[in-house]
Amino acid sequence: MAARAFFLTVIAETMPRLISPLVLALIGLILFGDGAYIHAKAWLAQVLLERAFDRSVATGVAVKPWSWADTWPVARIEVRRIGASTIVLEGASGQALAFGPGHIQHTADAGERGIAVYAAHRDTHFRFLRNVAIGDIIDVTRRDGRHFRYRADSSAVVRFDASGIDATARDFELVLATCWPFDAVTSGPERYILHATLIGADG
Amino acid sequence: MDAYDTADSDEHPLLSRLIKVGLFLLAQGIAVMLVAFLALLVSFGASWSATTEQASLLQPGEARSGSLLLKEDGATLEAIRLGTDVDITVSGPTLRARVTQAFRNPSKDWVEATYVYPLAAGGAVDTLKMVVGDRVIIGDIKERQQARVIYEEARRAGQKAALTEQERPNIFTNSVANIGPGETVLVQIEYQEPVHQVGSEYSLRLPLVVGPRYNPAPIIQSVDFRKDGSGWGAAASDPVPDRERISPSVLDPARNAPVNPTSITVRLQAGFALGEVKSHHHNVRTESPDTTTRVITLADSVAPADRDFELTWKPAAEKAPSVGLFREHIGDADYLLAIVTPPSAEQAMQKPLPREVVFVIDNSGSMGGTSIVQAKASLLYALGRLQPNDRFNVIRFDDTMDVLFPAAVPADAAHVREATSFVGALQARGGTEMVPAMRAALTDRLGESNMVRQVVFLTDGAIGNEQQLFDTITTMRGRSRVFMVGIGSAPNTYLMTRAAELGRGAFTHIGSVEQVEERMRGLFAKLENPAVTGLTATFSEAKADVTPAIIPDVYRDEPLVLAARLDKLAGLLEIKGRVGDRQWSVTLPLQNAAEGKGLSKLWARRKIADAEVARTLREMTSEDADKAILALALDHQIVTRLTSLVAVDKTPSRPEGAPLKLSELPINLPAGWDFDKVFGERPHPTPTQLRERHADARNQPATRRPIAAAPDAIRLPKTATSAELKMVAGFILIVLAVILFVFNRRQTLLTDAV
Repeated sequence: MAARAFFLTVIAETMPRLISPLVLALIGLILFGDGAYIHAKAWLAQVLLERAFDRSVATGVAVKPWSWADTWPVARIEVRRIGASTIVLEGASGQALAFGPGHIQHTADAGERGIAVYAAHRDTHFRFLRNVAIGDIIDVTRRDGRHFRYRADSSAVVRFDASGIDATARDFELVLATCWPFDAVTSGPERYILHATLIGADG
Repeated sequence: MDAYDTADSDEHPLLSRLIKVGLFLLAQGIAVMLVAFLALLVSFGASWSATTEQASLLQPGEARSGSLLLKEDGATLEAIRLGTDVDITVSGPTLRARVTQAFRNPSKDWVEATYVYPLAAGGAVDTLKMVVGDRVIIGDIKERQQARVIYEEARRAGQKAALTEQERPNIFTNSVANIGPGETVLVQIEYQEPVHQVGSEYSLRLPLVVGPRYNPAPIIQSVDFRKDGSGWGAAASDPVPDRERISPSVLDPARNAPVNPTSITVRLQAGFALGEVKSHHHNVRTESPDTTTRVITLADSVAPADRDFELTWKPAAEKAPSVGLFREHIGDADYLLAIVTPPSAEQAMQKPLPREVVFVIDNSGSMGGTSIVQAKASLLYALGRLQPNDRFNVIRFDDTMDVLFPAAVPADAAHVREATSFVGALQARGGTEMVPAMRAALTDRLGESNMVRQVVFLTDGAIGNEQQLFDTITTMRGRSRVFMVGIGSAPNTYLMTRAAELGRGAFTHIGSVEQVEERMRGLFAKLENPAVTGLTATFSEAKADVTPAIIPDVYRDEPLVLAARLDKLAGLLEIKGRVGDRQWSVTLPLQNAAEGKGLSKLWARRKIADAEVARTLREMTSEDADKAILALALDHQIVTRLTSLVAVDKTPSRPEGAPLKLSELPINLPAGWDFDKVFGERPHPTPTQLRERHADARNQPATRRPIAAAPDAIRLPKTATSAELKMVAGFILIVLAVILFVFNRRQTLLTDAV
């Protein structure tokens, strides 16, 4: 009985001191988990998208990665030199970008005349953009199985609303866009754009 | 054993307690600051993270309020003003129209203007002139891409340039680059068109506004399976790939005064003594210098461009001449235009065959207002005309569809009554999914070959996926004939004529309720009387390239119109056909042909239409058709799907460094349309009213207006997640918690130990 009373006293005395670290730890865990969840979602979605895209190419029919998805894979972007590969989704809404790079609406499709613009998060799918050098070959495989080869020829840092990307461009161009600077942890108005021009097509 | 007790027994009890409290407060403070910092960042992030979807989902309603806001702000962002003058000269069977668009720039900026406008579907646009001050620059015909490149280069170089492009055979876009502050640039295009004839009535139709089109969304579920039944297929691509180009912003007539004032002058030289001359939708003033000539102008001198101008004229004599033969010598070839109206007196004697008629009525939102009233009145008239031994069915569609009877039913009183109440209850709303309705109408369930099968399709044709509809008619027409009834103030004439041609039927326009009875009577004359079939045309001496290559059946009161390119103007033209069960033929000596104007253009235009039809019918591959069209277009200087006219003033006018703004001119809603019915119920990705376009990227303005509705430069979405921020903050908090815990524990242990 004495021991029990002792423990109760200890708990009663130490509780107020434990509460604040516990609460802090809990908030910390939730925040950390939330952040980790974004990465997990981005990674898992790419696995499912990869599968859906392969089926799309094989059947020629747009396949949704999961039944309730409101978007579908449209292309695969690869930079072989640094071993980067990612599946692009139609549309660049916030929801779509959580799962993969988005093809910005009203821009051309890859391989078509005009400018194709793909955007993705700098900390997930387009993290590799920082490693892409001018002169690198960017391979784009479309959903219909056609394959296009672009060469990165310039990069720039612009404001999101003054991208300087001309929607009426008449050449065969590609732009990959993500947030700038790469290492910042907060979102800002600046964007990094990597411009590439078509150099070949096959298939 | 109490910490406080032990502390009390300490040498500096107060100091120790103060340290503890201080540390605790410090930890709490850091945590609070972290959370506050986080909240601040999140709120900042939201304010500067405009994403593309906001821009692309912009509704016309928002665009309007956006433009109003601009005005309230007192900003000097004023749209380009446009005035249009149309001058038409009718010479016998053809007309030449000169459309002058004056682009006035009231703003203080250099502006590029684009204007989407309609022209008659059968017109051959062959001339572009740009007038800058006292200089006139004549446009050249070029391949479309090449013309675009020339224009863009001039635009970038600060030179004045004009570009005329065809979006549909009846929709064109004019772009004018580098209009200076306070400057006016005139853009003039000219086109050649045949005069339309039905019975003894001649007409011309001048469309003045493009009705907002319903552009079906690209649905990924729509899959075209290969015909070999292998189960493999491809998802259909966007049915309207150029939706942006044919969807200018539309002003709500309830909130805006009409724009784009238009003046019209028609010099009518019919070539015969004129009887009644009538404008159907505009008040006009008519002068008569002599019996064969009239000059028609608008009574109010200008009218807003919100409806088609329709003029009809009749000869003073009871019957129109039944034969017209015209020639033109261009280059080393002679061009011939023959207009022959087959006799109709005997046709009326024959007993009409029993018919199966499928009526299709469009009750989509674009039909709202007066159009649906006209359509319903027309259909009710048609139901009243059915004979008891006919069979019929009624289909209505918007973005949904209802077929009244499972299969065509006898037109007895009960069925007609049921159909009448069905039609009477129709409301105009929703989108325009025309293809499924056409499919349903062409599905031949009865398959009774002793009945004539006819589809009567009532619509304004306000869709952007015309080609899909044409493909449907081509593949499913079977023995059915398609008759199009164009409804409303600005119907899509291209859709009507081409659908009727592919469906081997005829078409008519109904622009007002008053026209319903007359026009429907005319249509029924065509439906009820046998057509002139098996028509052939042979030239006795001349080698001829005749269009249409396969002469379609000719319905009652319609003339047969042939255009031909001849190596020499000699010999006879013999036209043969069957009227009912009788042979009919007519022989025309070519020497008697009268001089005509612009016949070569009409011939080329008609040949181009033939190539497009052959492409739709899969008689020609796309490549072959394109090649043929391109050759004809370049030869005869005609704007087509593949060729554009471009004019560049070589003198640079915009100083280097001065920015260039793009102004997309809004258009009126066609008269009688209900704005809310068209735009109120569905999302519509209309480009916004004003768009800026900069000559080069160096001249980005430092400050931007609060509402840059949709700058031409693409807006980039927000592409940073809060993942790392959250993870870092979470990690810091966990570390803090651990420190605090350890600190507390050490305190406890220390005090316990004492």
